[in-house]
Amino acid sequence: MVPTPLVAASHQRPLVSGDRVFSVIAYGAAALIMLIAVIFIIALFIPALPAITKFGLGFFTSRTWDPVRNQFGALTAIYGTLVTSAIALLIAFPIGLGAALFLAEDARLSLVRGPLSFLIELLAGIPSVVIGLWAFFILTPLMRDKVDPFLQHTVGFLALFKGTPTGYGFLTAGLVLAIMVLPIMIALSRDVIRAVPRELREASLALGATNAETIWSVILPYARVGITGAVLLSLGRALGETIAVTMVIGNTMQISASLFASGYTLPSVIANEFTEATGNVYLGSLFYLGVVLVLITIVVNVLARLLIWRFSGSARASA
Amino acid sequence: MMSGARFVAAASSVLLLAACGGNTGVTNPSTGGPGVPTPPAASLTGAGATFPAPFYDAARFAYNQKFSQVTVNYQSIGSGAGIQQLIKKTVDFGASDVPMNASELASAGGSDKVVQIASTLGTESMAYNLAGVSNGQLRLTPKTIAGIFLGTIKNWNDPALAADNSGVSLPNQSITVVHRSDGSGTTYIFTDYLSTVSADWKTKVGKGKSVSWPVGQGAKGNEAVATTIKQTPGAIGYVELAYVLQTNMTQASLQNHDGNFVIPSPEGATAAASQFLAVNPSQFSIVDAPGKNSAPISGYSWLMLYTDQPDKTKGTALVDFLDWLVTDGQQYAANVHYARLPSNIVRDDINSLKTVTSGGSTLLSVPAPS
Repeated sequence: MVPTPLVAASHQRPLVSGDRVFSVIAYGAAALIMLIAVIFIIALFIPALPAITKFGLGFFTSRTWDPVRNQFGALTAIYGTLVTSAIALLIAFPIGLGAALFLAEDARLSLVRGPLSFLIELLAGIPSVVIGLWAFFILTPLMRDKVDPFLQHTVGFLALFKGTPTGYGFLTAGLVLAIMVLPIMIALSRDVIRAVPRELREASLALGATNAETIWSVILPYARVGITGAVLLSLGRALGETIAVTMVIGNTMQISASLFASGYTLPSVIANEFTEATGNVYLGSLFYLGVVLVLITIVVNVLARLLIWRFSGSARASA
Repeated sequence: MMSGARFVAAASSVLLLAACGGNTGVTNPSTGGPGVPTPPAASLTGAGATFPAPFYDAARFAYNQKFSQVTVNYQSIGSGAGIQQLIKKTVDFGASDVPMNASELASAGGSDKVVQIASTLGTESMAYNLAGVSNGQLRLTPKTIAGIFLGTIKNWNDPALAADNSGVSLPNQSITVVHRSDGSGTTYIFTDYLSTVSADWKTKVGKGKSVSWPVGQGAKGNEAVATTIKQTPGAIGYVELAYVLQTNMTQASLQNHDGNFVIPSPEGATAAASQFLAVNPSQFSIVDAPGKNSAPISGYSWLMLYTDQPDKTKGTALVDFLDWLVTDGQQYAANVHYARLPSNIVRDDINSLKTVTSGGSTLLSVPAPS
């Protein structure tokens, strides 16, 4: 009995210094991340300066992109980025949520669940250039010959579906992005739906609610913060995706109401033009596009935070 | 003449080596001769244009087979990046489809500090996808090409196209214009051509490696442009001849400056180039060349190196390699569908290489060409 405190004491000192070493490493790692972020933003701003000083905030509203006359503006590419990402989310949100509910809630097909989850993770692991290749060779002809004509026949009266479909453009790019963000959407939503406490489901079912009613009025409200997070993470992925979009969007500097039209996105312009961009203003404008893209991503992240705070606040208030 | 003399010199040295029982395990050993100097051992690095990369790769491999003491690395990272690397002196030579301009030369220390030589010659085709219109059957004039790319000719049944294509049934189908989305020398040569033949194009769009296209959709790289055209009925675009031949695309007959319709070919590019006796880094456009066989959308590709080489051994190997590239090395251009340099340009190149020095002494030991 006597040696016990002695042993504990002899173990305590190295533990304390170990703690210190660990905290130094942890603080160091945190500081390094901040340093990298700051250096990154500075490194993006400095080469962009020639364009920032020349075009200022007018860069955001100008539709001109003319390397011959050294006149540049980001509006067209911002439009393309937002439109393709919006299409991606409109497609991926309902499908992703449905699949997540199935995976998390439906116990009947528990044999399928494992392999299906594995397949979704596999889909997430496919490199975007491979998806781009598939889209370029398989999806674009399919869109031109089948999907686009079908849309024109059925909802062609809308301005969204006017013009001659070539298979390339906003709609195809949005669809490719939807395929790429689906795994994120499904995996994250599934996890937050699974995290809903069992008592809540049981209570709801015990009160006589059906499965659908339980999902609709208990599980989804409880999980909405996490689902919002999943949507915003998907959006982040869609905004920044480069190569697969470049292969199918048609790379045209134009703003068009028609989803069949070719367009351009911020990352695509950068990827296409930086190798041959000569001159400080031209190269600076490409970096400026990078700044714009980072700003959009930051805005999305801040929005995500605000939404999550609001939702979690109201969830607590109603609880 | 000169390349013939060189061939004799090279062949005799091969025989000499064989007679001496020299066996280096190299397939085509040579100690050089008056025409092909034997380079010192060195490892050379170049970077730049993607368009001539297949030619450079074939040539540097052959050179290494010939002179195993020299290895040449080439990174096809784009002309702009190649020029940047040369300015930063991280490579021994740069490659670009458009010679360095005044401001780029200023960043490199001034126009007298850099030697720029034409290394190969390429030409472009107008490839199209029209059911029932076979290879070479579609006839395009400078006017109709400009009209299509300006967006004034929108349909294949346009009267302007029909006028040049009697006997060909052009469909009532909208024209899908395909162009390069990435900055490229190919685009530079094509827009240089359009600016030369169309005043409208010159004022509205102009020439450059990237331009603000009035119509059409962009694809990244020659391959993607070629594939997009193949996949899209009614599409037309400009593609390097090499890709058109390698992938069996249908291409149009193009009306040249003399009014003849020609199907672009390496010979047509050489014919066009030989119309311009002097080409230099500030006067290098050979589009819309006169001559009855000239391919109208042709252009040179360029290599750049510093006039004053810091390392004498490396510098000597570099000028020896480039001297070989513009003479005997030209045979490797044909395999990848590029055209041979005309003899007057080879002469200018060698004279330029002879101005390269290290520590004040000339590095290239071949006699000045006549």
